Amino acid sequence: MDHTFYLAMSYAATAIAMAAEIIALRLRRARALAAVEEERDLETQD
Amino acid sequence: MNWGYFASPATFYRLAGWMAPWWFVIAVVLGIAGLYVGFVVAPTDAQQGEVYRVIFIHVPAAWMSMFIYFVMACYGGVSLTFNTRMAAMMARALAPTGAMFTFVALWTGSFWGRPTWGTYWVWDARITSELVLLFLYIGFIALANAFEDPRRGDRASALLALIGLVNLPIIYFSVHWWNTLHQGSTVKLTGTSMHVAMLWGMLLMAFSFWAYAIGAALVRARAIILERERRTQWVRELAAT
Repeated sequence: MDHTFYLAMSYAATAIAMAAEIIALRLRRARALAAVEEERDLETQD
Repeated sequence: MNWGYFASPATFYRLAGWMAPWWFVIAVVLGIAGLYVGFVVAPTDAQQGEVYRVIFIHVPAAWMSMFIYFVMACYGGVSLTFNTRMAAMMARALAPTGAMFTFVALWTGSFWGRPTWGTYWVWDARITSELVLLFLYIGFIALANAFEDPRRGDRASALLALIGLVNLPIIYFSVHWWNTLHQGSTVKLTGTSMHVAMLWGMLLMAFSFWAYAIGAALVRARAIILERERRTQWVRELAAT
């Protein structure tokens, strides 16, 4: 019996979940750095 | 050793920045080795055929879902007891990765269950308690972010994590305590009935997931440090460089 579909769905979902987490991590770091920059700029203006 | 030195966000930030890429490299190397053993070296299962190869992600993901929760609750306990900022940040950093592995364990179990049990889902004690674990992770993340003051969020979520610990023995022993459709533990401390190549494939993937979880938690902890410490001098100097 061909079980390729079940194997593919399992491995593909795992790969997508991990890739999504890595993208989310990069976005969060970029947002955090932007917030630090913003804070620094506001202080410079003051 | 002065552990307080590593509890400083500034020290931890630099140390985590140096370590995280290495953990990802270890995760990739072990992952490639695990997939090679799992798909090339390990033989086809006599009863299930090729579909059993879901085991190489399902079991490691399920192990990681419980292990990460345990570590997260320990960090929560340390943060509640000693009021340490870094422990609370690490607990927050681990939660999304733990939730991701719990989801992967449930998803892959579902796609393994359909061809072997004839159904994607059953309200079996093992599967239901694993679903409860996913809700605990989601609850932890929601509670940690529900307060304006992050320290209050830290305390509330740490308490939830500690209470949720009771679910871990329920997940582990569910297959012994109740009559479940889910099979019992194949790998025990006393030994295993698995083919040695299957066991190695599973262990390599488990160590790969473990290294990935450490790398991801370190990267997330660095972002949390930046978010929380953005008004401190060292973070401003860091952003300026």
